[in-house]
Amino acid sequence: MDAQKVDMFIMTNSKYFEAYHLNTIRERLLAIDDSKWAILSTMQFHEPTTSLIVSILAGSLGIDRFMIGDTGLGVGKLLTCGGLGIWAIIDWFMIQKAAREKNMQKIQQILY
Amino acid sequence: MLFKNYRLYIILSFACIVGYVWLLLNLLHIRTVQGTHACLIKTIMNIPCPSCGATRSILLLFQGEFLKALMINPIGIIVAGIMLITPFWICFDILTKQKTLMNFYLQIEIYLKKAFIAIPLVILILLNWSWNIIKEL
Repeated sequence: MDAQKVDMFIMTNSKYFEAYHLNTIRERLLAIDDSKWAILSTMQFHEPTTSLIVSILAGSLGIDRFMIGDTGLGVGKLLTCGGLGIWAIIDWFMIQKAAREKNMQKIQQILY
Repeated sequence: MLFKNYRLYIILSFACIVGYVWLLLNLLHIRTVQGTHACLIKTIMNIPCPSCGATRSILLLFQGEFLKALMINPIGIIVAGIMLITPFWICFDILTKQKTLMNFYLQIEIYLKKAFIAIPLVILILLNWSWNIIKEL
């Protein structure tokens, strides 16, 4: 793929990924052909900041986990009062990373 | 990658251990600070959350009082079921070197994301929540 397109994608979407993912994504994007560009540019990613806000407001109900697609863990959190309140607090700090990891999984389906 | 494959098993084993320790603490009436709750919603807003009362429900269930357990919180029965089955399932998977629990979990996740299952479940949880608030658990 064109280096200009790849850099544009990286610039606009860098907030959705962990810093250490970006290099891999860039290299992989340069290697694949142009036919994937249409899917790639219209992809929807989970917003880490939104998940953090939801986690602070409704983390005890597991809604943050449901939002990023971790349904099983969300149910676990809901059934245990947010993991006795401890897991809910831990997730205030973990949820952004979890959302970015989910985005990486999502983009990997296209890249590989 | 190895950690990722077994992450579910580690999380579930840890959750089971914490769950049983929590039950034991409640059974022996050991409370660290009086007047505080494990539940964040109950501590901050003073109203019960959908799963408040699950511990009481499980303790009643172990005494054989099924109906009373159901009346306190039906979620307790679901949690008790999960807590009873999961350790055996984890042991089975470790002994036979299979991933049946992992596959089951992934299947359930797919089903729960479907709207015709998710929406009734959300409504049930909301109904249970309002029932909890009325009961003042």
